[in-house]
Amino acid sequence: MLRELDFIESDWAALFWALGSTAAIFRHSVRGGLRAWLEKRRDQSQGLPKESIGKKAAGVASGIVIVLAVTFFAFALVRQLFYAFPAWDLGSMPWWVAMIVIPEIIFLVTAVALWRKRRSMATGILLSAIVLVVHFVVHAATHVQ
Amino acid sequence: MKFRLSPQTLQVLDAFLQGPKNWQYGYDISRNTGLKSGTLYPILMRLAERKLLETSWETPEIGKPPRHLYRLTLDGMRFAQEHRPARSTRRLARAAFGGAKS
Repeated sequence: MLRELDFIESDWAALFWALGSTAAIFRHSVRGGLRAWLEKRRDQSQGLPKESIGKKAAGVASGIVIVLAVTFFAFALVRQLFYAFPAWDLGSMPWWVAMIVIPEIIFLVTAVALWRKRRSMATGILLSAIVLVVHFVVHAATHVQ
Repeated sequence: MKFRLSPQTLQVLDAFLQGPKNWQYGYDISRNTGLKSGTLYPILMRLAERKLLETSWETPEIGKPPRHLYRLTLDGMRFAQEHRPARSTRRLARAAFGGAKS
């Protein structure tokens, strides 16, 4: 379509022809790209085998279990340190730093590290970490005066 | 064949029916129909995708770039002619009632 430019007499007409042709090419390529992307997405979702879905679910579940275990051990550790070493004056450190902030940093770093190779597990970790933070915020909002 | 026939598509088909067996340049079709390139080429591409048009490259003369040529296929000719009565009726109706305002 742009080859026609050499055969258009007026410069203005040639300019408008070129602009219109460029718009047509752009629309065509955008539509084609979008269609290809949608088809790829559809093929991916249709061709997903059951084993793969099961693997992903197991990955997410293991991420959740890891978060629960780490949070439980952090809680247990803080409780134990309070009783075992009263001389360390752990009472001056807010409990939520040990219970929430440090584990959350660990979860975030782990999720980022796992994102490429074990995305489902990283997703499970992130989801659980978000739930933990939300729980903490709600707890703080309703109990702290 | 399911195909959205906009007034512009009908205009393009009409232009091809003036010389059904002739190869035509995009610019000539644009001049005959009054359509801009941004409207014309998507129509030509859609018609070619549906095998209603065949396309070809002109053998270039020295110093001139080759140009794309378009022509109706047999299916395209049949399709254009099938839709011709509807167009004529619409044109007649427009001529008869187009100017009237309620």
